[in-house]
Amino acid sequence: MNEQHLFAITALFDTPEEIVHAAQEASKAGYTRFDVNTPYPVHGMDKAMRLKPSRIGVFALVFGLLGVFSAVGFMTWVTLVNYPLVIGGKPFWSWPAFVPIAFEVTVILASVLTVVTMIVLYFRFPNNAHPLHDTPYMKRVSSDKFGINIQADDPKFDEKEIRAFLGRIGGKEISPIYFDAEEFEHGQKLFDPKFLGVLAVTALVVSAMTYVVFNKVLYMEPFSWMSAQEKLKAQQPSELFKDGIGMRPPVEGTVARGFLPYAFKGKPDEAGRFLANPLLSTKEVLERGKSRYMTFCSPCHGNFGRGDSRLQGQFPNPPTLHSDKVRNWPDGNIYHVMTDGQNIMPSYATQISKDDRWAIVQYIRVLQRAQNAKESDLK
Amino acid sequence: MSNPAPDMGLRRELPERVTRLAWILLILGVVLYGAGYLLDAKRAAFNNVVGFLFLASVAGGAIFLIALEYLAGAVWSVPMRRATEFLAALTLVVPLLAVPLLFHLHDLFHWTHGEAVAAEKVLAGKAPYLDIDFFIIRFAAVFLVWNFFYFLFVRNSTKQDSTRDPKLTTNNVRLAAVFMPVFAITVTLTVVDWAMSLEPNWYSTILGVYYFSGTVLAALSAATYAIIKFHENGYLPNLRRDHFYSLGALLFAFINFWAYIAFSQFLLIWYANLPEETFWFIKRWKEGWEYVSILLIIVHFVVPYFALLTQDSKMDTKRLKLMSIWILFAHLLDLYWLVMPTYGEGIPFGWMEIGFPILLVGLALVVLSYKVKRNNMIPVGDPKLERGLSFHL
Amino acid sequence: MSTAVIDYTREVPVVEGRPKASELDATIAAPLDQFPSRAWWIAFSVTLLLLTIGAVCVGLTIYKGLGLWGVNQPVSWGFDIVNFVFWIGIGHAGTLISAILFLLRQRWRTGIARFAEAMTIFAVMCAGIFPLLHTGRPWLPMYLTPYPNQHSLWVNFTSPLVWDVFAVTTYFTVSLVFWYLGLIPDLASLRDRTTSKIKKLIYSVFSLGWRHSNRHWQHYERAYLILAGFATPLVLSVHTIVSFDFAVSVIPGWHTTIFPPYFVAGAVFSGFAMVQNVLIFVRQAFNLKHIITLDHLEKMNKVMIVTGSMVGYAYAMEFFIAWYSGNQFEQFVFLNRALGPYAWAYWTMVTCNVVFPQLFWFKKIRRSIPVMFAIGILVNVGMWFERFVIVVTSLSRDFLPSSWGHYVPTMYDVGILLGSFGLFFTLILIFVRVLPVVSISEVKAAVEGAQPTHD
Repeated sequence: MNEQHLFAITALFDTPEEIVHAAQEASKAGYTRFDVNTPYPVHGMDKAMRLKPSRIGVFALVFGLLGVFSAVGFMTWVTLVNYPLVIGGKPFWSWPAFVPIAFEVTVILASVLTVVTMIVLYFRFPNNAHPLHDTPYMKRVSSDKFGINIQADDPKFDEKEIRAFLGRIGGKEISPIYFDAEEFEHGQKLFDPKFLGVLAVTALVVSAMTYVVFNKVLYMEPFSWMSAQEKLKAQQPSELFKDGIGMRPPVEGTVARGFLPYAFKGKPDEAGRFLANPLLSTKEVLERGKSRYMTFCSPCHGNFGRGDSRLQGQFPNPPTLHSDKVRNWPDGNIYHVMTDGQNIMPSYATQISKDDRWAIVQYIRVLQRAQNAKESDLK
Repeated sequence: MSNPAPDMGLRRELPERVTRLAWILLILGVVLYGAGYLLDAKRAAFNNVVGFLFLASVAGGAIFLIALEYLAGAVWSVPMRRATEFLAALTLVVPLLAVPLLFHLHDLFHWTHGEAVAAEKVLAGKAPYLDIDFFIIRFAAVFLVWNFFYFLFVRNSTKQDSTRDPKLTTNNVRLAAVFMPVFAITVTLTVVDWAMSLEPNWYSTILGVYYFSGTVLAALSAATYAIIKFHENGYLPNLRRDHFYSLGALLFAFINFWAYIAFSQFLLIWYANLPEETFWFIKRWKEGWEYVSILLIIVHFVVPYFALLTQDSKMDTKRLKLMSIWILFAHLLDLYWLVMPTYGEGIPFGWMEIGFPILLVGLALVVLSYKVKRNNMIPVGDPKLERGLSFHL
Repeated sequence: MSTAVIDYTREVPVVEGRPKASELDATIAAPLDQFPSRAWWIAFSVTLLLLTIGAVCVGLTIYKGLGLWGVNQPVSWGFDIVNFVFWIGIGHAGTLISAILFLLRQRWRTGIARFAEAMTIFAVMCAGIFPLLHTGRPWLPMYLTPYPNQHSLWVNFTSPLVWDVFAVTTYFTVSLVFWYLGLIPDLASLRDRTTSKIKKLIYSVFSLGWRHSNRHWQHYERAYLILAGFATPLVLSVHTIVSFDFAVSVIPGWHTTIFPPYFVAGAVFSGFAMVQNVLIFVRQAFNLKHIITLDHLEKMNKVMIVTGSMVGYAYAMEFFIAWYSGNQFEQFVFLNRALGPYAWAYWTMVTCNVVFPQLFWFKKIRRSIPVMFAIGILVNVGMWFERFVIVVTSLSRDFLPSSWGHYVPTMYDVGILLGSFGLFFTLILIFVRVLPVVSISEVKAAVEGAQPTHD
């Protein structure tokens, strides 16, 4: 037979006045390890029990300040140190814009952490193993009676005396409360097997869900970053077309960008008549023209357009560009020769862009003028 | 039912020295006020606007507090209501403060400069409202309305001292319900006309609420200080920490409310960055005004917030007295910050700026001593008085 | 006017009739033990139907994208944001009743605080759906929060949309904690009352082992006060931050400094209308008329007329300043609202918010349940339209006429709105059967004779 360990002697009262009086008497009698249980807080009870004022407000202040400083500090670090960005033309550290978030973080930390502190630290909850649970006393005190319990570990504890005392102050249903034998012997374990089991199952479920979400679900429609789109992409097959290929050849007559056919193919005179040099003889144009000329034209035509290149003699010579004919040609004719080719000179259209060809024309004009300079050119 | 203490409610007088001080301050204030106008009319006029808005907020706010007590059915404030009624008597006097201003509208308001207004399309558009005659009519209307309600509230309250008729309370409750929307409009008109139109190109829809928050603070602080002083000198003996806690809590709440409104106004204008709005704040961040702005935040929010944060501080009469005076100065600074930058010649601070507050204090004390002599300190006939006296937190 | 003279010398009892504490237990716990009535099942099936419609629309929106909605350029915010602001506003009444009325020592809140707080939580849950959905990729909600990520990106802390994330999260969390804190003693009472073993286990777990010890009550009351003290500025800040979503912009009709207090007043206004209307049913259905009395309903009507007047003041002030400012765009906004393509919405708003609530000046109306119920519905309609008018008219016609557009909601927009009502009322119906709708311990403390008389 297990020995019953006494927790406390309890008594019930009917009115709030009685319970306040009872608490006053208990404090006066010198009991310290006692408590009052009421279905709602009764005014004046704290004073009657001689309780020290609650200091829980200090936690709220501390957590609140923690909130302010951490929020402002973090936002400052982000906007000044880690990733400064100009947003709306405002300075990097725009403190007015930090106020709303700082306020919210202060409130959430102060509120939630204060309540958690109270529950865990002050009350040491959850605790469903307390001896008062599941007793007739608890049932009454939860509903409509006011109770007092004087604990066995009070230094002035004496069962007979306390029963008499409680009777004297008008307590009813004076009864003892015992510790639950099993819980008393084994105490409250933190690593109870049932609790560990719950932890393990939770861990398993959370891990499984995390895996499924991040490795499977995120790759399904519509979460998969639009990676699988219904539109036809290059190289994809398609059932719409007989050959099964998604890509279709361009329609006949399609011209690629920048590849409009040359309108004056085989017609040098018309080229000369209708084409005009869009470029002016500016320094940049001439320098461009010179560099292009040296690259592409000088191997055959020579550095100064005289037809006296290094390749002279190895194949039919190109004519000099300083002949009267060439000097009197409109720009368009020279452009035409570069574009369409002439005799054994091939077309340079694929090597030299249109603008560059016109630049070269300007440079050739410079060369021509240099070779046939007049007295007036010196002025 | 406890009987009232034997000497409660009898008419008393303020001590001789206080009444004497009141008259000295008033006369000194008037002299400084007058000298100011003679020596530098423009600067005096701007100071006058600040002083006028300050006293208007104490007076109008006091009527508001009376109306609020009736409307909310509050019980704890009933024993103290007379003090607020005495403060509300300033409503008669405040318009007198504005009379010199009516002769200096040209110095104060750019919109009175006809040619300048005609030249600017936006100002010309406002001319139907910013028109001298209409301005004066509005000013007169506001104070007629305030005085009308003041007289009705106080007449009912005083009559109840002798008749003890609870119907008078019901009448005042109904009057209070009508007063509230009227007060909202009149307090808005006051600040729009006298402060916002100083910068006729600027506008803010929240300015009425802003001035309202300062108004309640001013009246609350003045009332708190007066009530505690009355209590300490035996004029209101039956008050407890529980009564004072409510005053402290209201002060704390409205300090937060003022800060919330002030910050919202600033944040929105700062964020959108529209030049037609931001210039007003930029003016208060240049040429030394930035220090006044920072001082305002510290004096009007940071210090009172921490000084009245704990439950104990809200019940401590010493703390409350200090913070009432502090908040009154903070409100004066607030109005100064609101009005003075338009004066445009630096941050004036000299005997003129001190002269006006001296005048205001003198006025308030003179009115108080007059009212105390002629009225019961406590509304003896109020049916809620018992409950108010026995009020416990 | 009434002929009965009010007796100012007596405090009106918060709970009528001096019920005994055990009677209160029985009355309040009754719905938890009884099988739901037919009326409840009918209501539940209706709300479930609405919820299903909403769920389908939400599912399709997630799968197919926001193209299903009516939003376009320039009206890129439509029903989504209107509903978000509406629901957050509804939530504010709850916090006001439980926190602010607590600080103001208005003891008449005891009968209605629990229910109002629950409504806040459910309303915030409904509200939160909308900003999540309107991002277009609601499965990436963490993008809205500052966590270290492989993009090395943070959120834009200076954006009001981010402030909303913090504000709504904080509001939901703190409301939940506050509500739960109040529930702990009641769950303990239920634990000690119930005969069902399963219920006993659940109540034991969630009551954390509360044993009504005064050593605990002492700290509990202080914590409750602190939470109320924080919840009060919180509720102001949440709708203020929501108003900042609009007011920090430069759009006429949105950028005006009065938005913060105007939105807060409007939120309390609509919230009280909703709370009052639901309470009318609850007190009838669960025999709580002596705890949620006609006096309390009348007080709620008075709060409505106060906050409704604040809203009216804001309308007037906006209108006046729009004229005063001389800003042609601002002036156009107000003309457009009253006379433009959405004039029908504007006039609905004005009638429902400004005209009908004036009836509450009359005591007879304040004490007539059918009339106050009707006005409550009109106020909710009016406040929904207020948000619609603000959001849609200002977006559809701002500075450049060439950018003007029109907004028409699609059936998915409407479906989701219906679904939000479905969710809200479903949660309320479940709450009513699972938890005590009235705070048992607070009401017991507020009954006449519950506290010792002072010497």
